[in-house]
Amino acid sequence: MAESAFQTGEVRFPKTGGTWTPLPNDTSGNKVRSHAVQTINATPEQIFNVYSRIELLPTWQEGVVSVEETGANTLHWKMEDPGTRAPVEFDSEILEAEQGKRHVSRITSGPSAGSTVILSLEPHPAGRGTMATMITDATVPGGWLTNAITAVVSRRPQQITTENLRHLKELIESGEIPTVEGQPAGRRGISGKLKQILLGENMPTPPGTRENARPEDMPTRNLLGSTPSKTLTTIGLIALPILVGTVIWASVSGDD
Amino acid sequence: MKAICWMGTGKVEVHTVDDPQIINPSDAIIRVTRTAICGSDLHLFDGYIPTMESGDILGHEFMGIVEEVGSSVTKLKRGDRVVIPFTIACGNCFFCHKDLWSLCDNTNPNARVCESMYGYSGSALFGYSHIYGGFAGGQAQYVRVPFADVGPIKIESDIDDEKVLFLSDIYPTGYQAAENANIQPGDTVAVFGCGPVGLFAIASAYMLGAGRVIAIDRFPERLALARDYCGATVIDYTDGNPSIVEALRDLSNGIGPDSIIDAVGMEAHGVDAAAIYDKIDQALMMETDRPTVLRQAIQAVRKGGTLSIPGVYGGDLDKLNFGAAFGKGLTMKMGQTNMHKYLKPLLDRVYAGQIDPSFLISHRIGMEDVPQMYKTWRDKKDGVTKVVIDPFRESGIEKLRA
Ligand SMILES: NC(=O)c1ccc[n+]([C@@H]2O[C@H](COP(=O)([O-])OP(=O)(O)OC[C@H]3O[C@@H](n4cnc5c(N)ncnc54)[C@H](O)[C@@H]3O)[C@@H](O)[C@H]2O)c1
Ligand SMILES: [Zn+2]
Ligand SMILES: [Zn+2]
Repeated sequence: MAESAFQTGEVRFPKTGGTWTPLPNDTSGNKVRSHAVQTINATPEQIFNVYSRIELLPTWQEGVVSVEETGANTLHWKMEDPGTRAPVEFDSEILEAEQGKRHVSRITSGPSAGSTVILSLEPHPAGRGTMATMITDATVPGGWLTNAITAVVSRRPQQITTENLRHLKELIESGEIPTVEGQPAGRRGISGKLKQILLGENMPTPPGTRENARPEDMPTRNLLGSTPSKTLTTIGLIALPILVGTVIWASVSGDD
Repeated sequence: MKAICWMGTGKVEVHTVDDPQIINPSDAIIRVTRTAICGSDLHLFDGYIPTMESGDILGHEFMGIVEEVGSSVTKLKRGDRVVIPFTIACGNCFFCHKDLWSLCDNTNPNARVCESMYGYSGSALFGYSHIYGGFAGGQAQYVRVPFADVGPIKIESDIDDEKVLFLSDIYPTGYQAAENANIQPGDTVAVFGCGPVGLFAIASAYMLGAGRVIAIDRFPERLALARDYCGATVIDYTDGNPSIVEALRDLSNGIGPDSIIDAVGMEAHGVDAAAIYDKIDQALMMETDRPTVLRQAIQAVRKGGTLSIPGVYGGDLDKLNFGAAFGKGLTMKMGQTNMHKYLKPLLDRVYAGQIDPSFLISHRIGMEDVPQMYKTWRDKKDGVTKVVIDPFRESGIEKLRA
């Protein structure tokens, strides 16, 4: 992704630059393509490990109830719309899993069959950790209209990609996902409750914390400037949470 | 427990709410021994910061005793006395590592809301609207503090609460304002606003080598603190309606102050035509902020000078002479305070006896007095210069100055 590596010392010209290529962000028919990009203070291997650890999936992805391995490269998902509790189940398969670099998976059953999600990882050229790019190409039942409705009552599908990558980053960097759920408040009243919905605060925060991960699955803190820790050999199966999220929210739009 | 809740514009009430619980493993629960009302709370009280929800617990300046800690907390234990910085930071993101704690990437649960308004989200803040995370604040008997190993500073002496309480916001905020003013030894610095932030900015400007600090306000008790405790040359901007630009020019040998600090922010008071225009505009929601002071500061500062802006702005500004800022080659620095960076060095200055931050407290009150005191604080009545709250006292207003 980096067009040119970070360079120190004398720069001489002419010097070849690059041209920006937009990442997918569009809607046509029942397809929603979106992307999210984050710099994460961890090595590509560490991020890959957290991302591919099946038991961690429900802790950082919105709406995931459980994920089970059903074969060498296949998973079965149970998800639930946080607003309506509407359940969705489907299967997914891993198409590519290259440790520390790239992960591609696809939904193989249910209304969103054919949706894919790609996570690409690359070390940051200036030592800030890893540049993580998540691209989802989702089949959304209901198409753009549903998409527009979900944008009001729930999350836009594009926003789900953003939130999932954000939550992954938060969990990896800080050991938890920030939340205010369960804190005290005075009487909210009708206007307070309405605002909560308008701000999307009715979406429960995934419960991820360092505590519910095995120590070897989570990077140690203060990685900036430190050397990568050992590379894991086993690669877990990966998830398609983002797609799933897209599907669920799209299919239950308007019920909140 | 009892907590101060925002119930709508101009409406603050004492409510009995649930006690806070540990939610995430890095949390601590603090029993609040002292808290305060800040000038920033007025922007909420007056309804200028969007995304407040009725029922929100207010307060971002507080300290107390650790009651309970989450399973991952290692630096604090039950019984420790701590002051809590008002910005919430994770301690391990790019921004925290760069000492830009108020811009932490990982603490705002509503980052998407902030992103839609500002492009990127800053850190979460206690008790400061949902765009900044919606965290319950510290004008309460107990409060939940996330990332308890990162923010709170332990107070390990028997120094009075009120001498260290303001490490939670206004003392570091005034100090950062002076740091952002890029002061060179002997410089002339002007400070608009002699509220708590302005007063600490004046003192800090001297700590950083200013030769002369000029302070502007209209309330005699505030000007008196600026002159008699902080050492400023003061101007009452309502006394005969002087031109502030001219006064500052004369006081800086004709070239303008090297730096100007805007410690007033979005709710500036003003008497000129532009200020009246702002009031109407703001009321009609045509602009969110009244940049009266910022306009004057741009005019008054010297060529190539620096504007430091600790005063809070929320959104669009109207009729701001950006051409003047450009034409004079100005530098502007601003933002929420990167609290964590300043706690230890500023506490050391208190221990060294350089400053007693409690100098500006005018009122000490109990919980039931808070709603009334918000109004007094807004209207700057009764000689108020800073209000501290004992959250375990029912009521009773003590005035600390004659
Ligand atoms: N950047 C931060 O992190 C941070 C932290 C705390 C407070 N603040 C902000 O700093 C500002 C000041 O806070 P405070 O607690 O001192 O509030 P305050 O309301 O007590 O003080 C503001 C002072 O400005 C004076 N003032 C108003 N209009 C003026 C004008 N036209 N010219 C000169 N003076 C004028 C008022 O008389 C008052 O004394 C607020 O905007 C507050 O939100 C920012
Ligand atoms: Zn404050
Ligand atoms: Zn951080």
